[in-house]
Amino acid sequence: MALTDFTIIRRSLGSRLFATGATVVTVAVAVALLLVLLSMRESWRKAFDRGTGNMHMLVSRDASPLVALLNGVFYANPPQRAIEWAKYNQLADSFPWEFAIPVQYGDSYRGSPVLATSSEFFTAFEPVQGRRWGLASGRFFAPEFADKFEVVAGSAAAATTGMKVGDKLHVTHGASGPGGAAGHEHDEFTYEVVGVLEPSGSAHDRALFTHVTGAWVLHAQDRMERAGTLPKVEVNHAEHDENEHAHDDAAEDHGHDDEEHAHDEDDHAHGDGHAHENEHDHRAVTAADLIEADKLITGIYLRVPTRPGSDNSASIQPAFDQLRRDPSITVAQPTQQIGTLKKVVGNIEQILLAMAAAVLLSSAVSIMVALSTSMDQRRRQIAVLRVLGFSRPRVLSLVLTESALIGAMGAAIGVAVSLAGAWLVTFVMKQKLGLLIEPALSPRWLLAVFVGTTLLAALAGMVPAIMAYRTSVAKNLRPMG
Amino acid sequence: MNSAALSISNLRYRYPGVQSPAWTIALDTLSLARGEQMLLTAASGRGKSTLLHLIAGLIDPQEGSVSIDGQGIHGLHGPARDRFRGRHVGMIFQTFHLLHGFSAVENVMAAMMISSIPAGEHRERALGLLSRLGIDRPLAKPEELSVGQQQRVAVARALACNPVLVLADEPTASLDPENAAVAIELIKSACHERSAALLCVSHDPAMAERFERRERLGVVGNNAEAATAVRKASTL
Repeated sequence: MALTDFTIIRRSLGSRLFATGATVVTVAVAVALLLVLLSMRESWRKAFDRGTGNMHMLVSRDASPLVALLNGVFYANPPQRAIEWAKYNQLADSFPWEFAIPVQYGDSYRGSPVLATSSEFFTAFEPVQGRRWGLASGRFFAPEFADKFEVVAGSAAAATTGMKVGDKLHVTHGASGPGGAAGHEHDEFTYEVVGVLEPSGSAHDRALFTHVTGAWVLHAQDRMERAGTLPKVEVNHAEHDENEHAHDDAAEDHGHDDEEHAHDEDDHAHGDGHAHENEHDHRAVTAADLIEADKLITGIYLRVPTRPGSDNSASIQPAFDQLRRDPSITVAQPTQQIGTLKKVVGNIEQILLAMAAAVLLSSAVSIMVALSTSMDQRRRQIAVLRVLGFSRPRVLSLVLTESALIGAMGAAIGVAVSLAGAWLVTFVMKQKLGLLIEPALSPRWLLAVFVGTTLLAALAGMVPAIMAYRTSVAKNLRPMG
Repeated sequence: MNSAALSISNLRYRYPGVQSPAWTIALDTLSLARGEQMLLTAASGRGKSTLLHLIAGLIDPQEGSVSIDGQGIHGLHGPARDRFRGRHVGMIFQTFHLLHGFSAVENVMAAMMISSIPAGEHRERALGLLSRLGIDRPLAKPEELSVGQQQRVAVARALACNPVLVLADEPTASLDPENAAVAIELIKSACHERSAALLCVSHDPAMAERFERRERLGVVGNNAEAATAVRKASTL
């Protein structure tokens, strides 16, 4: 096998192994830093874009539209002020919405937020534009409550708590929920996991979803407990079942299941309700016991009708303006609020990116310095190569290639490190902040950074390369010493 | 092809920046036939190395021409001249100038990178050449070889592309007299074997007896007419 220019470059790099290694590491660190920042930026943006999905507006009673969005879609905090059911009905009827989905966030389960909503949340709302909810297992909760406490778990919530279809759980009423009660476990009501969702990449993945009526029942229990007006067991089981059916709007074919379930609930309350005094005197609160004051929600997801395949409609703005005239509510247009969020984060990003670029630039300078320093030792070798027939441009390209190669090696290591780093950041974000951030380093970005770094390194090699180009052969062939 | 291996006419060279009107090198005529061997002697500092650099086209003269195998080397420019030198001229230096980090055989192969020899044959040919020159450790690095062996590697490298002309600049100055004698005979026989003309410059008087044709820089010329035309090389 013949020698090639690459052999010469390799030997040159190898002969200065320490300097080469140090320079490569410098480049790798800079590239990794840049990529991790780019990755974080991309994933932040994606995370912001996901979650609001196909809603056009979000109504709440939070202090500002931005807070409404953070609470209502990203589960930052349970909203402090609730919307009455009557208000919901008024708003829902005020415009021919495509959907007006009530949501109530106040409860939690082992740190996972519990969003009480209607089944339209699964059938009409898309967490990510154009992508409907998918089920990893089980089913969505039943459209009608029917005094069955069903839970659908977001993918991340299911993964972190290890819950699966068939599991039973008690939710905790949040300390700062709309009901105003202190945080405590509702062990009177046993929820059953009926479905686990597929990941959507949105904040919803770490939430649990239940029927909003169930949440009201929990709060009715609190209210009645405080007032000492818990319903008495004054009927036998048959009558109790009758009672159930009387208020049960569910499809008839569910009736039998409901009956069994009602028994279970009852049994459970009797056998396990040690926290309550006179438990044998009280039956569990049901949907039938609800009064208007129990029926509170914290937000409404709204969408105006659009043509199929389009997310835009001329009626978004009029609808928004109409809602805004109501001073008792806060209306957020997610796209606008997310734009604001991105701007806030964007400023920090730019500073971070500028810093990363500066580090990358300084690594390019270190390549230049390392190679320029090596030129002093290499002039004789270059002179010999010239005698052997190497042209000036070829010698120039040898040094440029060597420089680019240092850049490429550094970039390759940097890319590998950043992929691992991005994964780690994602992992930590999810664990500590509950924010689902997908590693968002698109191959195009990786390639751009790799090529860019290599070119930058080649550019940095221009100085030593020109030194090589100008090397006087005659002068450098004089006997040594 | 019956052109001379080397043909110099009216060569004039002065170091750049030197204000003196005198030429550093002034050589009216010098010709070397194919396979011919010649010793050029001069006192130290008389521009012997500079003359070799002029012949190899590493520097340009102010006047005159140098033809190698019929090709005026200064008429070629840039990469074309470098390629021509790589293929037609071999150079041997006092301090060998072997490439560090490359084995003996790789040093020889490096010279072949410019040649038209098929890449697949480089290694084999380089090994053969080294073997004929008595190098039994072709994979050793130059610094692992004795000084005499390093010289042989340098000779092999100079001959790697079957040049028409080999320029040897004080090739024995780094060697003890015994090794010097062996080395110069080796260079001569290797060049002879390959029909390469050899122009050896040295200030070592002991070299003189080993060359049939000897010239002294400053009184160069191999016939009476030429001798009258020769101009004495001036001192700096």
